[in-house]
Amino acid sequence: MKKSHIATLIVFLAVIPATLVLGSRLPGRAYYVTSTLVIVELLIPFFLAFEGRRPQARELVLLAVMCALAVAGRVAIPVPGFKAIFAVIMIAGIAFGPESGFLVGAVSALASNFFYSQGPYTPWQMMAYGAGGMLAGFLFAKNLLPRKPVVMGLFGFLAVAFFVGPLLDTCSVFLVLSKISLKGAMAFYVSGFAVNVNQAIATAAVLLLLGKPLLEKLDRVKTKYGILAVEEGSGHP
Amino acid sequence: MTSDAFSNRHPAVNFLFFLGAIGFAVLIQHPAYLIAGALGAAAYYLLLSGRKGWKRIGMLVPMFLLLTAVNPLFNTYGERVLFHVFGRPYTLEALLYGGAIAGVFVVMMLWFGCYNAVMTSDKFTSLFGNLIPALSLLLVMVLRMIPGFIRKAGQITLARRAIGLGAGEKNRDKIRHGMGVLSALTDWALEGSVVTGDSMRARGYGSGRRTSFQIYTMKRGDWCLLAVLMFLAAAVIAVSAMGATAAEFTPVLSIAPVSGIYALGFAAYCAYLLIPSVLHLKEELQWRRSRSKI
Repeated sequence: MKKSHIATLIVFLAVIPATLVLGSRLPGRAYYVTSTLVIVELLIPFFLAFEGRRPQARELVLLAVMCALAVAGRVAIPVPGFKAIFAVIMIAGIAFGPESGFLVGAVSALASNFFYSQGPYTPWQMMAYGAGGMLAGFLFAKNLLPRKPVVMGLFGFLAVAFFVGPLLDTCSVFLVLSKISLKGAMAFYVSGFAVNVNQAIATAAVLLLLGKPLLEKLDRVKTKYGILAVEEGSGHP
Repeated sequence: MTSDAFSNRHPAVNFLFFLGAIGFAVLIQHPAYLIAGALGAAAYYLLLSGRKGWKRIGMLVPMFLLLTAVNPLFNTYGERVLFHVFGRPYTLEALLYGGAIAGVFVVMMLWFGCYNAVMTSDKFTSLFGNLIPALSLLLVMVLRMIPGFIRKAGQITLARRAIGLGAGEKNRDKIRHGMGVLSALTDWALEGSVVTGDSMRARGYGSGRRTSFQIYTMKRGDWCLLAVLMFLAAAVIAVSAMGATAAEFTPVLSIAPVSGIYALGFAAYCAYLLIPSVLHLKEELQWRRSRSKI
């Protein structure tokens, strides 16, 4: 068994249950601390897997470029409220697979917050953005869904409106509700839905119009410089 | 990018201070501790950001009121009913509880405001560089690329405008134009990434254990400050374990008094929160005094 697999097992079988038990014993209202700790612990196996893989230089730079593009997209399209970040993360997931999709999402969230503001939501954003990229990777990189613009656009809309957005709303629920109840949580999901749909439309628009060309560019770089051929071999050629 | 007496300390000290300050703020709902937290965080935030700081604090006030007022709608426990909303009781206890939760939120946002000024990305990566080498290298590269990409996006926009492809005033135009910019930017960035990657490999990336340049070393003053912080935090945790910070709002209001040994814990908490502000003011005073001597 690889080191990162053992770490994953430890996190899931020991660390997270321990956090939940401890969190439920803490006096007062520890929902936010407990849930955020669990989110951070969930991030650890992904990061360890990446460290354990000893990524090659070209792969590292390619991932960095995708992250920086995701963050800089906000400046390239100067329309308030129109965020391209989710779409770029999903394109990374589609092109490079679920693991890279997750990484690009999580690092984009963290890096973007260095330019805007870190906050209590940072770990949640890393998780939610990463999960969005990973989902895209699972569905498209393994050819479960065809890489057609319409399919990608529809996927982007549904993923942001019903998965990534609500995950971020969950952070607010834990952060500001004194008593967690289904009714209270629903109020947050409903009031957050308009914002989520707005971002979902932006994501769908970028994927619909830019998804195919960007994927072609990534494929072109892969063949032109044989990036995947290098990555597949272990160590240095 | 602020530089003051506290932020010039070792990043580990800065990071642990914020971990403690934000951790206590989230876990303790005792009103006295909340007020102390709000004052301590606001004081340091204002010292760091000056007049601009008032704006953010002003923005937090309506947030505080809104969160306070909303919470009783979802929490109907409590004895003293103020009035009914949609047939559900709106109680005083729940309102106070809402105030405490909103207070936690405000204190947290203020501390994060200070954190953003003190824990710059270079400190963050130097702190975690050895723990997660590949990932922190990735982060450093991303943080370096973003300003470059933004500059390049501006150049592409100008070039497109020069050949008559500039964006109109309508959002639709701007979005379509922006996608063109993003597409061109991707092309440029991908080609560049291959060169960077090859150069990294040529210069030996991955050929051995990567070490990172450390500009920060723990000096004696840093160890002393860390010891003081740890001592104060331990004191707060100790009295908290004895029940000093217990505060129940619903169904019955019961808040631990701040007296006797509990007062000592509260004093320790206040001292902990004031450390960055005191260091900042001490340096400022020293500076003024030595300048007036000239």
